Amino acid sequence: MHPFQYERARNAKNAVSTVAQNPTATFIAGGTSHVDLMKENVHRPDLVVDISGLPLQSIGGHDGGIRIGANVSNTQVAYHPDIVARYPGLSEAILAGASAQIRNMATTAGNPLQRTRCPYFRDTTQACNKREPGTGCAALTGINRVHAIFGASEACVATHPSDMAVALSALDAIVQTRGPRGNRSIPFTDFHRLPGNMPQLDTVLQQGELITSIDLPAFSGRSHYLKARDRASYAFALVSCAIALEMNGGTIRRARIALGGVAHKPWRTPEAEAMLVGKTPSEVLFRDVARAAFAHAKPLEHNAYKVPLGQNLMVRALMETSGLLPLQGTPGTAFASSAGSVAGIIPLSA
Amino acid sequence: MSQLLSAPLQIGDFVSDCSLPDGSRLFELRGRPIILAFAPEAWNPAHTYQSELFAQLLRDFNEGATFIEACTDDWHNFDTASDLASQFGVAGKRALFLVDEHGILRWKIEVEPNEVISLGEVIAALEQLKAKPQNAGGISRRAFLSATLAAAAVLSLPLLEAKADPQLPKPEVAREQNAPPAPYDSSGTIPVTLRVNGKARKLQLEPRVALLDALREYLHLTGTKKGCDHGQCGACTVHIDGERQLSCLTLAVMSQGKNITTIEGLASGDNLHPVQSAFIKHDAFQCGYCTPGQIMSATALIKEGHAHTDAEIRESMSGNLCRCAAYPNIIAAIKEAQGEVRSA
Ligand SMILES: Cc1cc2nc3c(=O)[nH]c(=O)nc-3n(C[C@H](O)[C@H](O)[C@H](O)COP(=O)(O)OP(=O)(O)OC[C@H]3O[C@@H](n4cnc5c(N)ncnc54)[C@H](O)[C@@H]3O)c2cc1C
Ligand code: FES
Ligand code: FES
Repeated sequence: MHPFQYERARNAKNAVSTVAQNPTATFIAGGTSHVDLMKENVHRPDLVVDISGLPLQSIGGHDGGIRIGANVSNTQVAYHPDIVARYPGLSEAILAGASAQIRNMATTAGNPLQRTRCPYFRDTTQACNKREPGTGCAALTGINRVHAIFGASEACVATHPSDMAVALSALDAIVQTRGPRGNRSIPFTDFHRLPGNMPQLDTVLQQGELITSIDLPAFSGRSHYLKARDRASYAFALVSCAIALEMNGGTIRRARIALGGVAHKPWRTPEAEAMLVGKTPSEVLFRDVARAAFAHAKPLEHNAYKVPLGQNLMVRALMETSGLLPLQGTPGTAFASSAGSVAGIIPLSA
Repeated sequence: MSQLLSAPLQIGDFVSDCSLPDGSRLFELRGRPIILAFAPEAWNPAHTYQSELFAQLLRDFNEGATFIEACTDDWHNFDTASDLASQFGVAGKRALFLVDEHGILRWKIEVEPNEVISLGEVIAALEQLKAKPQNAGGISRRAFLSATLAAAAVLSLPLLEAKADPQLPKPEVAREQNAPPAPYDSSGTIPVTLRVNGKARKLQLEPRVALLDALREYLHLTGTKKGCDHGQCGACTVHIDGERQLSCLTLAVMSQGKNITTIEGLASGDNLHPVQSAFIKHDAFQCGYCTPGQIMSATALIKEGHAHTDAEIRESMSGNLCRCAAYPNIIAAIKEAQGEVRSA
């Protein structure tokens, strides 16, 4: 690991100016992504500014929705009674990810900022434009089973690994930041970037820009998250799907769908969402919608399976959210979000 | 006593005598600088932010002591409703006063409700005094050593409770900061005090040292195991402030001021923790390498109270891999221990 200086942030203002002035400085919160990548020599900061003690630790009502402080742990969010009651899809997404230990450490801001799990990114002997711009992309022609089918470029085919971010995208969350030049509110859907020819940038954050909170807007519909993975637990998504559905009697008033594991950012599907408005939920409708959502997918050599897997997952997520199929577990738990049993012992009914 | 002062104390004022909560007199402390801290909250060493702040203050000014020694040595907890508080003109408020060895008020700060004062600010003020020549009333490291180092920590407390509050997170106070950088020596190491199994342990570490390595290589607590070193296996699970966390992905320097419990600290004397006994009874291991992590994880699982059925326990334990696949026995042990801990 590259040696670094360590500083504990005294307050947000100071943390921002310290990191903004030093291009080799980074923040650290829970450390579960950053320390891992420092050990791999993928991240090599000269200065690490510890923001974990900053008072960004509360979660509570805000503007009819909920404001989640940047340092609130993933566990606290997932089990918060208001989140479970009003945004169960967010709890489901968080609890479908990582392990109990990691969720205790991981923070609200750190989670969407975790780096890709592309094995070539993590291996410093391989070409990777995200890690070393200009070196090429080993995944493009390498083993790309877990890589992107949407929005990728010649420069980078990595996916964003977070589950929580997919739910935040479907819920139209807002990222509140404090930067060297003031505060910003960034819609979650604009927060992550597509790789283009600058895959080294995951998000629109500037150097030294600090997330202070993530806000969930008021929402009175149903939300749900479904995840498909190689193991029943403690594995990243191959494909996942977050739904936020608002009904008007028997018809759909508004639907938002975000896909995980398929792109450099949580992948929203505006055309598919539009097809649902004013319709009555049915499997036929949902199959049409899923077909449309994946119509422009561009699979690589090893990941064409993500198209049918993703379509089926989306249909099932929509069926479960609209009540046409029962949830696999209590809303807001890992059991509701796990497609294909949890820990191998719940039989699949669908 | 409250009628003694009508105007609040100013910098340079002589602080008149008064009695302290423990029955002694302020004058008796003359000859050494004193920090007086007022806060409505009680100081609680178990609180991360308080002990962290306290530990750093001591580190910066008193190279010889741990925060445990200091707080048991010479501790004064001042109530904001006390006569003393009204004498200082800060009744009901949070405030910090620095009184020099001659009894002159050298620095003070009042903290509005919901405002946060940071450690750096306190240290910067102290550093400024320290920089002055001794005869001008400056404060030396040695002098500070004997100081009544009080609850500076409580000042950082108010915003840190994770209670539902519609207005939070609140903006912090914007103040100019001039605090010195962390004291690095030429080898790039810094002093790190870890509180492990109830004992404060002082180390000199590079900031890149993971808690796992600090425990195993520096403190020789080898019960905590290194499996993957990347957060993927759970062998390194310890409790940090009562929560199960991974020591391999934790920087030791970031665990200062927190209560760290390892497998060595789980039993009370010769009495094994019920989870330890249940693991033995159910033969919940083969090689035993994953076992400390399994047990630390399981004890936390029981405390969390979210997992009861086999499926829930499996899901909640999925962060602990067992190469020998002792899983069925691990589940049986946890179920039995859970019953015992519940009914105890
Ligand atoms: C074995 C393993 C399995 C995992 N499985 C999953 C999974 O299935 N699903 C999933 O979603 N995740 C998974 N994770 C990832 C985990 O959820 C993330 O690592 C975690 O959420 C990151 O949060 P953190 O607070 O630890 O971030 P850190 O590592 O502290 O920080 C991550 C990045 O965010 C920056 N940062 C942190 N806070 C702020 C802020 N306030 N403002 C600006 N920048 C900030 C840091 O500078 C850093 O670059 C897994 C991780 C591991 C190790
Ligand atoms: S050693 Fe920490 S999780 Fe494997
Ligand atoms: S007992 Fe051998 S790894 Fe679990």
